Amino acid sequence: MTTRDLTDLTEHEFGLFTGPDGPGDAGDGGDRGDGGAARGRRRRPGHRRAARWWLVGLAAAVGWSLWSAGVGRQEVVNSGGWTVMGRFWRAAVSPELSSGFLRLTLDATLVTVAFAVLGTALAVLLGLVGGVLTSETWWRRPGAGRTGGTGRRRDGLRPGWFVGRLANGLPRGVHEAVWGLFLVSILGRDPMVGVLAIAIPFGAVTAKVYADLIDETARGPYEALRAAGSGRMAALAYAVFPVARAEIVSYAFYRFECSVRSAVILGMIGAGGLGFQLNLSFQSLRYEEMWTLIYALVAVSALADMWGARLRRRASPGRVKASVVAAAVLVVASVVKLGPDVGRLVSAQTRRLAAEIAASAWPPSLPVDGWAGLIRRSLETVQMSLLAIALASALAVGVAFVAARGGGGPARRVAAAQARAVLLLTRAIPPPVWALLVLFVVFPGPLPGALALGIYNFGILGRLMSEVVENLDPRPALALRALGAPAVSAFAYATLPMSAGRFAAYALYRWEVAARETVVVGVVGAGGLGRLLEQQRAAFDYSAMVGTVAALIAVSVVIDLVSAAARRSLR
Amino acid sequence: MRSAPWRTRATLSLVAALALTAAACGDDSSPSATQPAPSGDRTLRISAIPDQDPAKLVEINSAMATYLAAALGVKVEYVPVSDYAASVSLFRAGDLDMVFFGGLTGVQARLQAPGSTLLAQRDVDDAFRSVFIAGTGSGVGPMTDVAGLAAFKGKRFTFGSESSTSGRLMPEFFLDQAGVTSERDFTGAPGYSGSHDKTVDLVEAGSFDGGALNAAVWDRRKAAGTVDQTKVVEVFRTPPYRDYHWIAGPRTDERFGAGFAEKAKAALLALDYANPEHTRLLDLYSAKKFIPTEAGHYREIESIGRKLRLIS
Repeated sequence: MTTRDLTDLTEHEFGLFTGPDGPGDAGDGGDRGDGGAARGRRRRPGHRRAARWWLVGLAAAVGWSLWSAGVGRQEVVNSGGWTVMGRFWRAAVSPELSSGFLRLTLDATLVTVAFAVLGTALAVLLGLVGGVLTSETWWRRPGAGRTGGTGRRRDGLRPGWFVGRLANGLPRGVHEAVWGLFLVSILGRDPMVGVLAIAIPFGAVTAKVYADLIDETARGPYEALRAAGSGRMAALAYAVFPVARAEIVSYAFYRFECSVRSAVILGMIGAGGLGFQLNLSFQSLRYEEMWTLIYALVAVSALADMWGARLRRRASPGRVKASVVAAAVLVVASVVKLGPDVGRLVSAQTRRLAAEIAASAWPPSLPVDGWAGLIRRSLETVQMSLLAIALASALAVGVAFVAARGGGGPARRVAAAQARAVLLLTRAIPPPVWALLVLFVVFPGPLPGALALGIYNFGILGRLMSEVVENLDPRPALALRALGAPAVSAFAYATLPMSAGRFAAYALYRWEVAARETVVVGVVGAGGLGRLLEQQRAAFDYSAMVGTVAALIAVSVVIDLVSAAARRSLR
Repeated sequence: MRSAPWRTRATLSLVAALALTAAACGDDSSPSATQPAPSGDRTLRISAIPDQDPAKLVEINSAMATYLAAALGVKVEYVPVSDYAASVSLFRAGDLDMVFFGGLTGVQARLQAPGSTLLAQRDVDDAFRSVFIAGTGSGVGPMTDVAGLAAFKGKRFTFGSESSTSGRLMPEFFLDQAGVTSERDFTGAPGYSGSHDKTVDLVEAGSFDGGALNAAVWDRRKAAGTVDQTKVVEVFRTPPYRDYHWIAGPRTDERFGAGFAEKAKAALLALDYANPEHTRLLDLYSAKKFIPTEAGHYREIESIGRKLRLIS
């Protein structure tokens, strides 16, 4: 695999292709290894100029967003709120530990895990089918466009490829909470709501990643089989899947970590599990109960995280096989636990409700204040996500180097463990909770929403970035040190430049996700399209909801285009 | 919870593989919104909008479930729901049979599920009130009539949940009477804290200058001493209006036999405070009895809802 993966993957979160032995090894600028270094040197001047312009643009955009949010124009910090916020943090040392609540927490934890397991399993299934059907390999006419290597030529592709890629965009552009809201109106009170709300958007993301994996696998054997008269499926089964298998499995487990967090967000809209209990306790501000649930969530995330990380780091065939078996067992257990009613999907009532909602949702309509309102809120969403990502990246870059595993004395190890714990906690507390906490001390408006998303995404970006640091080639820094350079210089001239490109790539990917996530902080009055969607949902105004969701998709497409352009010019 | 003991054990031993420490499980009373009702079963599913402490809601509704089960001769299950709009959606989907809705959600539910039956109100719902609260540093002081609410112009203001009658709809109505339009006259957009309790805490924190909430929740918070009255005070108590009511879904008669909704209505109205067996249940509802109600009682709520575009 090459740098192309980093440019084309538009997933929610990713952290897969960073293994030292993995194909992502080539690094973001192709500047690892001898050939890469030579290429990098040749390209550097233009590369630097582009980077400078992007930085100027970024600074201007962040400044504009801050100004719009009222920073520098009005009071933004409400110092009176610290005591109220303090109640939440004080409760951290005295979580609710009554046996009744612990039982409830355990059950909610199992439900959350079950949702994540089934959602992931279905997403991977959808991803495999969709990945094949949207891969260039599948649609390429035999013998056409044989460019070899990473040469990318579109000729020889059938129209089906374009249709597939296009169809993949919609499910990805909508946040899983929105899917949940939509599905609950049709499927009612059934676990299928939570499972599908995870599986649909994640399935589309997985399909995209798998399609790229398939296309990046050396095509020679596949073409040879095809030329010998074998069918497309058989050729894929014998020539592509065996090669890409470890990556496919490893990515599936990575997706699981994301699903656990999604299952919690879904719970907050009523699907069950830890998020549901958290929301019930959140409504009446029972902080002690909230902490018990948060700790349960931290534990589950940590385990999911460790499982995925171990698999990524040493994906020996035995380990992959054991994980697949364990996953199969978990799927069965989850079906037993949730007891989803698959029959509901095709029941007469589901069809009736879907038809009713479809009828009232079409044609899409504008919000009360028309196009002006929709555009204003779309801009607000972009600004919120931009501020969130700027904050998250700034914090994450700093912490990533501390949190990275490996090396150093005992003090360094303790600091690393603490940093990882902080990252784990920040991403375990769901964005709506962060939003309320921030709202206690920052006056209402887009700013508290941006800060809440910034803190949450700091947890995710920090983890992804620390993984980048862990996987860095240590040799340049060691070489500098051996030549007598002080640690700071070795860091500044060897470590930092090597990680900068990847950091930027991760931040840019998360930006698009953050824009979709503004939906889940809209519920506490943070503004933007999420706020609007919540209002329309309270009024059951389905046609306006469709209009707002369309705007949300448009926003993420625009962000995707901008970030793709940025990544291209930074390469 | 549906899980039979063997299932729970199986689940646990499997999850132990995930290294989750497993303690005793199989608590059959823990609430969860995830378990579907097997189709064709005869369990009456009751629910309520999440307007207060969930533990309290469980207590109230479990007592009501016990009462209804005895009075109606069916199995009754309480289904907790964490979101106002979701409770209306689930009612519409037929997953909830009888719900204690608020004024606005009740109107929405009847419009979404035509053929629903209005059952009863509490005596206190006949004269429900909201309170307006203000931060002591906000410059808004106690007022004697509705017109005084104009003092909130130019202030930061938060409602509770968007679909809440006492935390959003009626406060908007009274603000409107004082010439205050929420979208226009507050500093910044009005907030929607999500719940009555969050409204209190946000005003106490000073994030908002003022807010409006269910008078009962405010009184409970004051009595419990969980509000700092040097920072937030009540400035106005609204005139009374009609609020919460029980509604039965359109398919209850079909599922439980003809005349079932009428039987349910009679069972609610038969609750008698003088009867020691009923006293505790009515106490949980902070009521002395349930009273009949009719659609006409909610016309005003409906028209305000339409004006605020909460009903389309």
